[in-house]
Amino acid sequence: MTSKNGDHGSPQTSSTLKADPKPSAQRVPPPETPEAIQTRFRVIAAFWAVIIFLGFPIWWKTTSIYRAHLPIQEMADWADGKTCRPVFPLEIHVAAPTMQLPESQHLVRTTQHALDDLNEFAAHHLRLKLTNDTETSTAQGIDNTPITGSMMDDAPDTALTVRVVAQEGLATPRSELRADTTQLDIFYPPSQVPIPSSSNPPLSVFIAEELQRLYSEEKATIAYILSGGAAGRDSESISRRLRRSMKYADTYHLSFSLFTPGSAPSSWDIEAAVQEYLSPLLHAFGPISNFTIDTQVQLYATFSPMAPPPVYDETESAWTLKKEDLSAFINAAEWPLNPSIGNGPTLNFILYVPDPSQSPMVVKENRASSWIVPQWGGVFLLNPPLEQAGQSGSQTNPGHITQESLRPAFMTFSHQLLTLLGTPTTPASLPLRLQSLIRVRAATLLLSASSTMGSLARLTESLAAIPIPATVASSVSTTLAQLSSTCSHLREGRFGAALTSARIAETEAERSFFEKSMVGQVYFPDEHKVAVYLPLLGPIGVPLLVSLMKELKRLVAGWKARRRSTA
Amino acid sequence: MTVYSLFSFLLALAVTLWSSPVSASSDYHEQLFLQPLPQSSLLASFNFRGNTSQQSFDNQHFQYFPRALGQILQHAHTKELHLRFSTGRWDAESWGPRPWNGSKEGGTGVELWAWIDAADDEEAFAKWITLTQSLSGLFCASLNFVDSTRTTRPVVSFEPTGDHPKVDGLHLLHGTLPGEVVCTENLTPFLKLLPCKGKAGISTLFDGHKLFDAAWQSMSVDMRPICPSDGDCIVQIEQTVDMVLDIERSKRPRSNPIPRPVPNEQLLCDTSKPYNSHDTCYPLEKASGNAWSLQEVFGRTLNGVCPLADSDEQQSVCLRVPHERQVFHSEGAVEQKKADGFTRCFSLSSSQPFDLSIPEQAVQTEVALEEPVLHAERTIVGHGQERGGMRIIFGNPSKTTDVDFILFESLPWYLRPYIHTLQATITGPDGVPREVPASELVTGTFYRPAIDRERGTQLELALSVPAASTVTLTYDFEKAILRYNEYPPDANRGFNVAPAVIRILNAPDSAPIYIRSTSLLLPLPTPDFSMPYNVIILTSTVIALAFGTVFNILVRRVVSVDEAAALGAQSLKGRILGKLVAIRDRIKKKETKVE
Repeated sequence: MTSKNGDHGSPQTSSTLKADPKPSAQRVPPPETPEAIQTRFRVIAAFWAVIIFLGFPIWWKTTSIYRAHLPIQEMADWADGKTCRPVFPLEIHVAAPTMQLPESQHLVRTTQHALDDLNEFAAHHLRLKLTNDTETSTAQGIDNTPITGSMMDDAPDTALTVRVVAQEGLATPRSELRADTTQLDIFYPPSQVPIPSSSNPPLSVFIAEELQRLYSEEKATIAYILSGGAAGRDSESISRRLRRSMKYADTYHLSFSLFTPGSAPSSWDIEAAVQEYLSPLLHAFGPISNFTIDTQVQLYATFSPMAPPPVYDETESAWTLKKEDLSAFINAAEWPLNPSIGNGPTLNFILYVPDPSQSPMVVKENRASSWIVPQWGGVFLLNPPLEQAGQSGSQTNPGHITQESLRPAFMTFSHQLLTLLGTPTTPASLPLRLQSLIRVRAATLLLSASSTMGSLARLTESLAAIPIPATVASSVSTTLAQLSSTCSHLREGRFGAALTSARIAETEAERSFFEKSMVGQVYFPDEHKVAVYLPLLGPIGVPLLVSLMKELKRLVAGWKARRRSTA
Repeated sequence: MTVYSLFSFLLALAVTLWSSPVSASSDYHEQLFLQPLPQSSLLASFNFRGNTSQQSFDNQHFQYFPRALGQILQHAHTKELHLRFSTGRWDAESWGPRPWNGSKEGGTGVELWAWIDAADDEEAFAKWITLTQSLSGLFCASLNFVDSTRTTRPVVSFEPTGDHPKVDGLHLLHGTLPGEVVCTENLTPFLKLLPCKGKAGISTLFDGHKLFDAAWQSMSVDMRPICPSDGDCIVQIEQTVDMVLDIERSKRPRSNPIPRPVPNEQLLCDTSKPYNSHDTCYPLEKASGNAWSLQEVFGRTLNGVCPLADSDEQQSVCLRVPHERQVFHSEGAVEQKKADGFTRCFSLSSSQPFDLSIPEQAVQTEVALEEPVLHAERTIVGHGQERGGMRIIFGNPSKTTDVDFILFESLPWYLRPYIHTLQATITGPDGVPREVPASELVTGTFYRPAIDRERGTQLELALSVPAASTVTLTYDFEKAILRYNEYPPDANRGFNVAPAVIRILNAPDSAPIYIRSTSLLLPLPTPDFSMPYNVIILTSTVIALAFGTVFNILVRRVVSVDEAAALGAQSLKGRILGKLVAIRDRIKKKETKVE
């Protein structure tokens, strides 16, 4: 082979050999014929043609990964809040059965003016609307569930009905919020009927202030969420409340557990207690989320050896737990508190009956017997009256906990459940709080689904090696469609429908972001490809490249020579 | 079979307890049964049983039923569940028949079978996968590897033990993991399922170090619904742990676990054997039996009683030794001897720890062990990497009765049996083996052939072995070649083949007797795992060589040798050589000048 290596740069050979000054005895080979040069050129060109037109496309086809097209810009716009500015127009019906029509129209107008003056947060505003059929709307108030009500027609949800009634013997107007319906009763002295000429009647101001007060917490919460957690009025308390609450889910699993370090109590009237104390609340939550309930009894549940034991406090005559030690109260390693099977998060409610030797047990700082574990559940310390056990005189816990003694525990659990689900603390009416929760949840879901879209867009941009299956693309388009329908529902005041759309958007967004097949390729590094390709491409590629370069050099030289000869 | 058997006692006890579930609809019961076995072994059989009403089970109100397991079963629509974790081998020749007639034990590793409520096979399989995945997490076992290749649907080998209102919608699925190593991480979740959690009652004796040091152990979890003719249905969970401990081995302190030889003067030699010299000894088992106590064998004492156990069942510990044997027990417990002359039970005090101590004592009577109904042994025969054979030997020790049974084998797909090669050899009482056609012994066959990478072979044979005979069944198989990525990390160890399950049909009472053979190790042709890279390198080299040759022939110019020399001066190599020569000449010149 080496002897044949000599014919590099064949076109030049003839000319350079002639220029050789040394009269050599060596025989110089005859110059190559143009046919031979032509054949070599064709051979090399054929090889390269196969590589470029056959090999390369096949390699490209077989090793490329499928990346479905994603509307990156649109996704990023959602995440940046450019596409949608959520607004919350609340429709409030005003009924004034004791007033003349012009009077009541004037009242509504002036109250709306007063409200608009008071409102400082534009995205959340109240719209008053005069109705006459007061009785039917209030009657609907109880079981007119927000979602079903709005699904049937395109009219906005009625957030509140204000009923303005004249009452004798009053000096100033008085308001009364019914705890079980969405109705606010305003009683006013008949003397204060607004005169059409007055621009700012005291009754309107009163109603406006009442309404403003009713929605102040919700307004602050929504402002906090929309601003992305920026500091504002009450932002500290709102962020604490939001941090505690669970992420929104379709279904929550409620798990009630009785833990005790000894062998008693070993049974409780849990079925009756759940039925009696909890079912009404869960029923009211029906439009927002579903719930499953399971219960268990766990005996011999001791504290973790790491946890600081309770200390006996002489002055309180009780065993006390320090507030900072409460996080170590739950022995996560040994207590069987695994999440329930199925979609949705689990909320754990623990009823802890302390050992007779450590009873009663309270929290040291405030003598409280319950606390919330943020985003996880709640704990209640139940100290039942001890029983004298037989002849030995030692005290034991009762073997069975009755429904009546579970009452305080379940009242606390209901309260903890509301807090964990993120329900606002005001106003006093539960339906109003739930409606408020719907709006807060819709806003949260809208923002979180939008930001997931943004993250997905950034992820697919930054990792060029991950595949994007078609399912992700379809999920993304569903999410975007649902997001815009959420936005329009919000704008038109249909909050129930907005929540439904936002729920779908959030699920689809999560599904597209956590698509399993997208992560597979990330762990296949380029070094592996080199290791696989190099043994083949090295020995084949080098001669091909060298010959290509030589051929090009010859062509360039020939072209130059031709130009020189023409010049 | 006139000899009164421990195991039929256990079974009778179980039957009586099961048959009266109405009186205790949501009760809890636990019992420990101890029996010394020959060769200084001790059988400890723990049983825990909890009931809950079907209604509170459906509403997820769990008291004695563990919540985690209950939710899994509901989620997977599982109506009856049997889960087994086993290690070791039951030595039937020395220890007699199996505890619970084998109904509470599984093959080596993990075995799971369940009746799942589903509309069709596909749905049942999807739920089965849900079930195995969830159980895998709950019990820290690799049950998630029970895929379609390890799942079978036995037809005649298993019967539901619970009462199911509608049977036609139930699908039986069976899966085994013969290679699973059962250890303490499986015991901890097992204990968590118990209401008393190993903190009170007989479960306080469990110590992973002792339990998994046993010569044989089996943990089981059974769930089934029981519907008495009068009254509401209940859901029952039964957990058992059976183990055979070597007393000598267990008594060794953990700080000093190395066995020491018995001093010469304490050696008991079998004098009936001929000896050539005085320095040899055939050791003899002690006639007086070993001295042991719970503290020594289990490493701890029994801590009171689980207060949930029903009060009339206080006799939670029973011991089976002859009545003439001395047994010391700790204060507070009350001993009660049963009329059969061998069993005594103890009522424990709820507050004091309990210990049993049995001294060394020569006794006249021995607890007689019943002969097992059937001996079974299964081995892989043959040699080479391509073919092999399976040999299953059944021995019927009875002089009078035939044994009818069902042999259930689930073989992995990479073991391809040839059922037409099924051959039977029968050795009668005369000891002369003679070949018979397999159809003479096999009364029924259910065979579901394997599909590569999709499902394994399922073979169920109904067989009959005549009295005092030994039957040897053989069939050939072929070993498949696996794909490169189908080999486990320890491929050269071999592949586990699940034990065969034998269900004996003509048991004296209705309760079936189960025997499981040992699991087998199948060596498969195993490649060298650097092979893919070698192949890449080798083929690349060959292709590069061929390509280079062809390419050079096509492209290069052929000249004669002296012409090549002339051309060589022009090439890069030639120029470099020329430069080198020039440098050398210059250096040489300098040297000559210096001289």
